[in-house]
Amino acid sequence: MPGAPVLDEIKIIIEDIGKGGGKEPPSGGDGGGDGEKHGRPGPPSPRRYYTGIALGIVSILMFFMALASAYLVQRATSNRWVPVHLPAILWANTMVLLASSATMEQARKRLSRADLSGFRTLWLVTTMLGLAFLAGQLVAWRLLVAQGIYVSTNQGSSFFYIFTAVHAAHLLGGISALIYVYRRNFETAKVSLSIAAEVTSYYWHFMDGLWLFLLALLYLGK
Amino acid sequence: MTPSMVTHDSGETAPEERASSFLALTFWNTDHKVIGLNYLWLGLISVFLGMALSLLMRIHVAWPGVHLPFVSRLANTPEHYGALAMLHGSLMIFMVLTAAPQAGFGNYFLPLQIGAREMAFPTLNLMSFWATAASLLGITASFFLLPDRGLTLWVASVALFCAASLWSALNISVTAIDLRTRGMTLPRMPLTAWAWFLTAILGSLIFSILLAACALLLSDQVVGTHFFTAPQAIMGSMPYSMPQGIPLLWQRLFWFFAQAEVYVAMLPCLGITSHLLSTFTRKPVWALRAVVLALGGVGLFGFCIWGYHMFESGLNPHVPLVFASLAESLGLPAVILLASWLATLWKGKIQLTTAMLFAIGFVSLFISGGLSGLFLARHDLAVVAVSDEFITGHFHLVMGVAATFAILGALFFWFPKMFGRRLNETLGKLHFWLTFAGVYCVFMPMHWLGLIAHSRTAGANPVAAAVAGATVRNFITGATILTIAAQGIFLFNFLWSVWRGAKDNEKNPWRATTLEWSTPSPTPLDNFGAAEPVVYRGAYEYGASDSAEDFVPQHRAPGQVARKDH
Repeated sequence: MPGAPVLDEIKIIIEDIGKGGGKEPPSGGDGGGDGEKHGRPGPPSPRRYYTGIALGIVSILMFFMALASAYLVQRATSNRWVPVHLPAILWANTMVLLASSATMEQARKRLSRADLSGFRTLWLVTTMLGLAFLAGQLVAWRLLVAQGIYVSTNQGSSFFYIFTAVHAAHLLGGISALIYVYRRNFETAKVSLSIAAEVTSYYWHFMDGLWLFLLALLYLGK
Repeated sequence: MTPSMVTHDSGETAPEERASSFLALTFWNTDHKVIGLNYLWLGLISVFLGMALSLLMRIHVAWPGVHLPFVSRLANTPEHYGALAMLHGSLMIFMVLTAAPQAGFGNYFLPLQIGAREMAFPTLNLMSFWATAASLLGITASFFLLPDRGLTLWVASVALFCAASLWSALNISVTAIDLRTRGMTLPRMPLTAWAWFLTAILGSLIFSILLAACALLLSDQVVGTHFFTAPQAIMGSMPYSMPQGIPLLWQRLFWFFAQAEVYVAMLPCLGITSHLLSTFTRKPVWALRAVVLALGGVGLFGFCIWGYHMFESGLNPHVPLVFASLAESLGLPAVILLASWLATLWKGKIQLTTAMLFAIGFVSLFISGGLSGLFLARHDLAVVAVSDEFITGHFHLVMGVAATFAILGALFFWFPKMFGRRLNETLGKLHFWLTFAGVYCVFMPMHWLGLIAHSRTAGANPVAAAVAGATVRNFITGATILTIAAQGIFLFNFLWSVWRGAKDNEKNPWRATTLEWSTPSPTPLDNFGAAEPVVYRGAYEYGASDSAEDFVPQHRAPGQVARKDH
């Protein structure tokens, strides 16, 4: 699977962000000392999650830029370029994904007003919308296959499948982060729920924007 | 994830180090020091494997008919010989030059040098290590599955390595940005820490590109797409002499990565060299700020000159000029670094420890390799005057061997901190001189070979040129065998010293200034114990005239510096 390492990457980045990197207790290595000492410096500042997600996003962007430039170069130089006719369901999928970003922001607004149950409901809705988007992408694939357009049919179709697959893999990472934030008990975590939700939301909106970019690329590639 | 949860759960009932077995402590440990050390072991295995492969290649170049038991079967068919070069290259570049100085020493010493207790994301760090280890296994195994499945496995392993490097780069840059202790401002960061940080930034950009290229290549191999038309040719060719059959797209993606990859491997080594030279001349780094800027410049230019390698495949005629200028402008940071090293050495109280010898050896190789690089940056010269062997010689001298010298210097320097023992200095010096002479004997003649191929002699009298070439080739093979044999001394010294070396629990045997030397040797699990270190000064306060000692550690508060008149 071309996307597998990428998927892992995202999953791990996100999960790490979600659960707060320094999971283990401050190690009591000084011979018989019992775990936590007073005056011992606490866990590193939560700023690292923001820096981490920012740098992670830059890396991922670079990955997609490399794919996009490969696409543009191939399209410009190939003399037998056959564009893919995009299935209409992609537009519905896009709406679903955009809606998920909106519900996520609503969820975070509830959280800031200390409305935890409202947050959880909307967060769950966001997760469902994310899954719905992935299901919709699968339907788009099925529609293309039904027309006899496979991944190896021509370069245009190859790029279509690759773009959607790696984006889906990255989005799956986002969904695991959403589920993680939903299920994690933040009483015992070193990171607060609001930070975890905020960092996850950055990634999620980025995935959203990235999809719009890829869609534009594929659409204009016609 | 799960691995760390195992240690985590056991750690809750009893102190981790007692409850966990050796295996858990070594392989499931999220401690940055253990992970760093594991990377170094990985590098050690790979470097000897890689050297064995180069020996095999040299033997087959010198005596094509020779039949070695077991191994000849692997190397005497054309596709195997080509794959041999590829395997040698991927092991050395990925597992040794990229992983050892950055992930190995970086993981171990970056948190210690900036006063952090751990890396920013310890679990992610462990995953990076395991992905790297799996990738080493995959790359090695691919050789035995040639040609078709082998290529698929090779590409998948390289992709895995890219992912691991990305996670590691993310971890290192976030650690450097956010986990610095109180007082450790950016200008006070040691050059080694700067180098790891800049390398991580560069790495997080370029490994994404190689990952994308691998993803496309893998989809060609597995699901039958046609992004690249001749994937087989990629495996069997020397990376720097892409034959015509290699698809343009792959060339672009590959060189975008590969040219910058050189600097990913070199940057930490440049930082280490500056650090060692300052420590062992007892002088501050000359023009410290300029050196930091130069390190940044190497990273920036290194990222921009990828197109240089596309000369051969035909770009817009104006483009080579741009890239050639960029390639030449790499000379600027290189000259700043060189000037700083020489000025630091100038009138220094030079202590010729083995670590220092390797650092000076690095400077020497950097000069020699850099000079031949000037020929290559001139596009017109490179095309008419130079053949592959010149490039092989250049790039091994400046990248492979120089970086290895920096790694060895760092190892001799930090060994007491890592193991609480000393490497044997006599054996170390013997190893240094044999290797130093050896690598010049191996790679300098390669430059001649490259020039002979295009010289007038070759045109007028091909027979004489061939005879001269053959003599030089045999000389190179002989020198290779001797140089590799000399590495046995190092291997013995290293393995002996790890378990039986002279004990040295002194905190600061080299009287160095940076924070890692304020911890006990070997550094305990929690690095700095109960107190958080606080930094009061820059990293290279050597030779201060008014203090009793000739150095002031970074954590020494202004009031605590012992004065001379006491």
